[in-house]
Amino acid sequence: MESKLSGSATNLVDQLVYPGDVVLDLSSMTNQTIKLGGGLRQDSDVISVMKAGRLRFSKPNKYWVESSQKRYVPHAEDSVLGIVVDSRSDNFLVDIKGPAIAFLPVLAFEGGTRRNIPKFEVGALLYVRVVKANPGMNPELSCTDASGKAGEFGALKEGYMFECSTGLSRMLLSSPTCPVLDTLGKKLSFEIAVGLNGRVWVNASSPSTTIIVANALINSEPLSGVQQKIMAEKLLQRVQ
Amino acid sequence: MEQRLANCWRLTVNEKKFIESALLSDVRVDGRGPLDYRKLNIKFGKNDGSAEVQLGETRVMSYVSAQLVQPYRDRPNEGTLSIFTEFSPMADPSFEPGRPGESAVELGRIIDRGLRESRAIDTESLCILSAKLVWAIRVDIHILDNAGNLVDAANIAALASLLTFRRPECSLGGEDGQQVVVHPPEVREPLPLIIHHLPVAVTFGYFSNENLVVLDPTYHEEAVMTGRMTATLNANGDVCAIQKPGGQEISHRVIMHCLRLAHVKAGDMTAKIKDAVEKHNTERALQKIKRHSSSVAVDVCGTTASLGGKQNQSDGDKEGSRLDQLKLKDETKSMECDATSSAQVQSNKKDGSSKNFVGGPSSWDPYSDCVNSDLLKASLASRGHSTPSKKKDSRRETKPEEPQNEVKIDSAPMDTALTSGQSNEGKTLKDAVKPKHKRKKKKGSSNNAN
Repeated sequence: MESKLSGSATNLVDQLVYPGDVVLDLSSMTNQTIKLGGGLRQDSDVISVMKAGRLRFSKPNKYWVESSQKRYVPHAEDSVLGIVVDSRSDNFLVDIKGPAIAFLPVLAFEGGTRRNIPKFEVGALLYVRVVKANPGMNPELSCTDASGKAGEFGALKEGYMFECSTGLSRMLLSSPTCPVLDTLGKKLSFEIAVGLNGRVWVNASSPSTTIIVANALINSEPLSGVQQKIMAEKLLQRVQ
Repeated sequence: MEQRLANCWRLTVNEKKFIESALLSDVRVDGRGPLDYRKLNIKFGKNDGSAEVQLGETRVMSYVSAQLVQPYRDRPNEGTLSIFTEFSPMADPSFEPGRPGESAVELGRIIDRGLRESRAIDTESLCILSAKLVWAIRVDIHILDNAGNLVDAANIAALASLLTFRRPECSLGGEDGQQVVVHPPEVREPLPLIIHHLPVAVTFGYFSNENLVVLDPTYHEEAVMTGRMTATLNANGDVCAIQKPGGQEISHRVIMHCLRLAHVKAGDMTAKIKDAVEKHNTERALQKIKRHSSSVAVDVCGTTASLGGKQNQSDGDKEGSRLDQLKLKDETKSMECDATSSAQVQSNKKDGSSKNFVGGPSSWDPYSDCVNSDLLKASLASRGHSTPSKKKDSRRETKPEEPQNEVKIDSAPMDTALTSGQSNEGKTLKDAVKPKHKRKKKKGSSNNAN
């Protein structure tokens, strides 16, 4: 434990940490504001880890612990895939794989007024943004980005959706593009929508292409970058 | 109310449309063809009669146990078989603990019907004392993970566990032959059940177009499909049971086509199950614990060295007991693994060969001659065929013979048993039940010899 103590915690960033590890010693840092994300906690003078995972740091001063699980905990500004469960007079009830059903106000669309409320049937798949996510309350969603434009939010037609862990979603959304998407994209044409809540939607012109892409993505979770490339290439060879 | 809505799996419109349209081009979402089964993996537990089956992501565990009970009034000579299912909530969020739901009851019924109505398990051999005591076999099926097609996986698990289950051996004792002694497994090798054939369940899923048929549907396909049918057949092509719980109507042409498909799949499945059981049995035989026999230098000529305390026998191998099917004049406690050739076993079995039993050398070393695994394998393999027939004859054997045998047994030349490569446990009800005409003679002759 002692060895883990460090003034700047640079040696722990991107490493696996476990609950109880101390990542920052505040007594050695003065006049700095540090933002703590999920999985970290301040205990008087030290910052310690609450959740097992990888410690991440983003400039200038954000630290958080990232881990992959099947459950999703809603956070604001996440883009997720939701399934419409019910519609009420003032909002749609949308399931985003969190502990509570989320509300999507009927007016939260670009140019949305009482006159042109969209009609979603039960089971419709939507790409939405989480606006508010306070613990204990139902999260609030929106089909527009922060400035009010629709962007890519809205209903997703056709295609196939599968569920995965939050770690895989983050990997698919990372930049630079993850190797499996790169390799697949070179030979096949498809579109995907990745929700941070562990849902991925794939669409391609033929069902078999969709199935190939979906299976390749599901299988790529435990693989490293190079392994992903090899796996994807083998799959493509087998098919063509 | 909204809270409850948050925790279940939901089907999207996209998925429903996609699964059906993909089937029109003969592909399934996991890349299988419409008539392919998922990968099947059968594992056995440490106890006899416990098996875990993994069919793709679906996991089912089955456990068989037996108890002595009074038989039903109208079937005084038969044991009973009952199937219990437990749909654990960890398998699927929609399973609730407590009373079995409709699908749990249906699954239990399908498996039960497949086994009972086709008389796959020989219940008459489970009778110890007519109208008084029979074995009640209980199969408990636990669903560990639901990823679709629970019926097939549970059926395979039930069959695998029944094939590896061993029940304690019993013998009749007392003056009137009415007292039943149940021998613990340390004392006498437990016996397997008599299973005539393996009824395998094959489940079909139908979609809105009746020509779209899939085998072994996954969880998502089950949510999308409009009709279902489970056909239970054995490798011979006998239809043991068919279950079609409502849903889409299907023409008889499609049903016949499905039954033919099921026949092929049942053959495959039976071969896989038998392979797995065989491998398990061989491993088990190899791990047998040696049993020490308390009587070392026993004269075959029937020195009645009362081995009274079978308890003296240290834990024998429960495994090696496959051979107990072979007629044993006496119970040999030390089942070691290497033994005589299977040919010998076969012949032994056939003529109930006690003729191989010859007065053994008094300086018999329990560890030199052993039963070998080939023997076990052969006996296991052939037992299925020969024993049932033998059983039939042996029923006519006199039970009263048992008590005498009891006495004799102990002295029994274990060595002879060994040399003949026969395995242990001579005298028990089983013997009385088995066709031991020859045995009787042999006993007579050896007695005379003594």
